[in-house]
Amino acid sequence: MPPDQSQASVHRAAITDRTELAKGVILLGIHAPELVRVTKPGHFLLAIPPSGERCATALGIYEAQAERASILFFVCGSRTRELADLAVSEYLEVAGPLGNGFDLSGQPKNVAIVAGGVGIASVLLPAQRVAEYGGRVQLYYGARTQALLVDAEKFERYGCVLNLATDDGSSGFDGYVTELLAQTEEVPDLILACGPTPMLHAAAKVASRMRVRAQLSLEETFACGVGACWGCVVPISRASAQAPRFPMLSTDGSRSDSVYARVCKEGPVFWADELRW
Amino acid sequence: MTVRAGADLSVALGRLHLPLPTIMGSGCYGSGEEYASFIDLENIGAVVLKSVTRMPRLGNPTPRLVQTPSGLLNAIGLQNPGVEWYLEHEVGKFSERPCAIIGSVAGFSVDDYAYVTQRLAARDEIDAIEINISCPNVASDGETFACDPKLTSRVVTLVRDLTDKTLIVKLSPNVTDIAGIAREAEAAGADALAVINTVRGMAIDVDVWQPRLGNRTGGLSGPAIRPIAVLAVYEVACAVKIPIIGQGGIETTTDALEFFLAGASAISIGTANFTDPRVPLQIAHGLERYLLGRKLNALRDIVGKANHGFSGPHQYEGDQG
Repeated sequence: MPPDQSQASVHRAAITDRTELAKGVILLGIHAPELVRVTKPGHFLLAIPPSGERCATALGIYEAQAERASILFFVCGSRTRELADLAVSEYLEVAGPLGNGFDLSGQPKNVAIVAGGVGIASVLLPAQRVAEYGGRVQLYYGARTQALLVDAEKFERYGCVLNLATDDGSSGFDGYVTELLAQTEEVPDLILACGPTPMLHAAAKVASRMRVRAQLSLEETFACGVGACWGCVVPISRASAQAPRFPMLSTDGSRSDSVYARVCKEGPVFWADELRW
Repeated sequence: MTVRAGADLSVALGRLHLPLPTIMGSGCYGSGEEYASFIDLENIGAVVLKSVTRMPRLGNPTPRLVQTPSGLLNAIGLQNPGVEWYLEHEVGKFSERPCAIIGSVAGFSVDDYAYVTQRLAARDEIDAIEINISCPNVASDGETFACDPKLTSRVVTLVRDLTDKTLIVKLSPNVTDIAGIAREAEAAGADALAVINTVRGMAIDVDVWQPRLGNRTGGLSGPAIRPIAVLAVYEVACAVKIPIIGQGGIETTTDALEFFLAGASAISIGTANFTDPRVPLQIAHGLERYLLGRKLNALRDIVGKANHGFSGPHQYEGDQG
């Protein structure tokens, strides 16, 4: 299916709650019932800056339930600083939901979710969805250090089994979360991953060794975020590009064995075996 | 929320009459449908489609975008499925658009421009043609045409003969004498000029000692280039009589007004849509308020008013020039 963006719109949302989960890690709840109604796991939104001079900020939708959605982000620049400074009952304007999310249509029973750092922000909704249809989730969650392993309890509430890893060994496995995934003896039916690009590469390798398909939620610099500018592309195999969800990529003039798909529109979630990166 | 009431914001670009002077820049708005859920397209003047070429193009290697202070550096490289695919799969959708649709033609030879123009212009869904002779991001010097007065003249002369539809020529700021190029385009039969395309630029990653863009060089857009664009419009407006579509970093009504006062008859909005898709609507409302606040009936009354050498445009009946 080509991505359907027709349900996206601009929402003026009041901040309902703000929690600093760790130093520089902010969870911001917003009142956005219309957004919640059409959000699917893996969707993202664009936070419209209060003044111009830069592009809107793309953020994964962390929670979406009843009238409240939330975003979880690390403060890493002036835009995220501005978002972090918002107080309860102030307003945030967002456009969304956007993108092509995780595909759980086959209702796989055993799902491994791999999250690195702020990648955790895009994987709560799929974990919740799997729990809803009666599947089981092993969460592999890695961060630089213990303090940055935020909000893990929330995943436990959805019945996720936690497998934690830290780069400095301060909590859980001492090393990369993908090394932890590689050690598991319980082979999942599907792997979902979101995190830094090197982690996604490693997760794809582990998945391929396990002979399990993986869906990766990619991060790229966006300009438009809606599929208009073709700035955020990633190479996918020419064979994959023949699928109906890549309507404009079925042809190109070169002999290259890959073509460029938009992370914001055809993604941000891609099958690992589609990617040629 | 519709815009049309009160002041007259309409503009004529050759045969193309737009009720609103807000045009969405090529490459920044897809085919319009990407933004249709955020803004009612009835409230914009026109969409300039992403440029198409004769053959499909893979586009540039990644990364293709770098954000710089008040600017966006891009090097997309005209990724597109080629004009035949485009005609077969995309163009039919445009008949339903509530705003004007301007096709954008890019090429690597005079023949390319002629071929694609002819193919696009033959379709009723396309209201006008923009000739993109100024893409800075293609390996074989895509800007060659816009940087050479003789080549500009050749391309425009050739495509002029192929269509009666409004022909817009998009000029590059990366030239010594933009007014000279503008004169050539006008003499060769252009109905309007789009001023300006992006400004060439580069950003370097100091950790890995490499340019940040996959293409190494890119085109800079956004508020960072606005003063460059305003000056270009000012200079071109002194040199030609045909209407100018001012573009380069327009985000607010005040920005847009600068361009009209410099001599633009319409404006194009590109990068600002990436900040907030409602910008075109806000600007149209703002222009209307500005005119009503000054008891002016029509936007055309302010075109070129800050430009002492301005003598055009001649697109309005009864205009004294």
